[in-house]
Amino acid sequence: MSTDTSATVSTKKTWSGGRSPFNVSYGKLMMWIFLLSDAFTFSSLLIGYGAVRFSYPVPPPMVEKLSPMSDLTQKYGHNFVEKMQEIGAFDESHWPAPELVFNHFPFLHGIHLPLMFVSLMTFILIFSSVTMVLAVEAGHRMDKKKVGIYMFYTILGGLAFLGCQAWEWTQFITEGATLSHNPFGPAHFAALFFIVTGFHGFHVFSGVVFNFLIYVNTKRGMYEKRGHYEMVEKVGLYWHFVDLVWVFVFTFFYLI
Amino acid sequence: MHNDNSNEYIPETYIPHVESNGTKEIWRTLIILSVLTVVDIVLYFSMPPLGGLRNITFIILGIVKAYYIVASFMHMKHEKIDLAACIIVPFLLVLGLVAGLLSEGSFWLAN
Repeated sequence: MSTDTSATVSTKKTWSGGRSPFNVSYGKLMMWIFLLSDAFTFSSLLIGYGAVRFSYPVPPPMVEKLSPMSDLTQKYGHNFVEKMQEIGAFDESHWPAPELVFNHFPFLHGIHLPLMFVSLMTFILIFSSVTMVLAVEAGHRMDKKKVGIYMFYTILGGLAFLGCQAWEWTQFITEGATLSHNPFGPAHFAALFFIVTGFHGFHVFSGVVFNFLIYVNTKRGMYEKRGHYEMVEKVGLYWHFVDLVWVFVFTFFYLI
Repeated sequence: MHNDNSNEYIPETYIPHVESNGTKEIWRTLIILSVLTVVDIVLYFSMPPLGGLRNITFIILGIVKAYYIVASFMHMKHEKIDLAACIIVPFLLVLGLVAGLLSEGSFWLAN
């Protein structure tokens, strides 16, 4: 086989060898394929969640509609969950309304603030995604200093998100939720909450670890010496995927 | 870079050279994602509770947000169509499976 024939063919045809048919590096292609398989895993969790959830009837309508910002302590005393059980808003045969379960906000105890805390968490992840793309963009310009700064902000965003999730779990557990029992509704409710948000939270944790490694390597000048910042892009893909999964966790656990 | 020379293509070390596209698109995507999240919250409180239409609205908004994250942040819009198809087509098949299993879901557990 003559070498000059394969050289002419390879520059013309995408799939005839001698070039990258996707025009991406090996590592980036593998990252995409890994993310596809991870998306399958999350899909299976959401299928499980959806099947269990839709097998329970919708929550009974509240006799009295709670408006956001209303003072729960004044209205129901200190036992909001027990009051909800008494009026039938929380019972084991109905899936609870998310706005009555996730209505807490740090430092604003006793105020009805449904979904505000998870919205804050959503914004934290969106912003840390933005600093990640800014780091990738700075990497294209070989701007070592900016890559370092933006990676640092991305790590801070990830840690802030994990802190919020720890607070929310603590709140949920303090109110009596475990994997096998919870005061809000069917046992499946808390079990699925812990498993799905826990699996996502573990992804966020791994992402923070990867981001930290990239940050250290950037600071040490490893990528500058290598001549490109492709590692930032690959870990960036993973980080955006974590944000992407959160969009659906937010939709299915809190909005629907 | 030596990688750009196609006659010396080595699959394991090939890195295509990428130019910066500036930050304009990033800020535009940030604004779109923030607005969609606020729309989600506003609709949550203003739409009639727990209907099919309400769920479909939230799922569509989630898919629109996913589009902007994948296309813009993950750069899929600028990748070759071959790569985009390799990742998106298998996932569309899974979405079909999700829809099918969810519509059958109530039968497994309720009956």
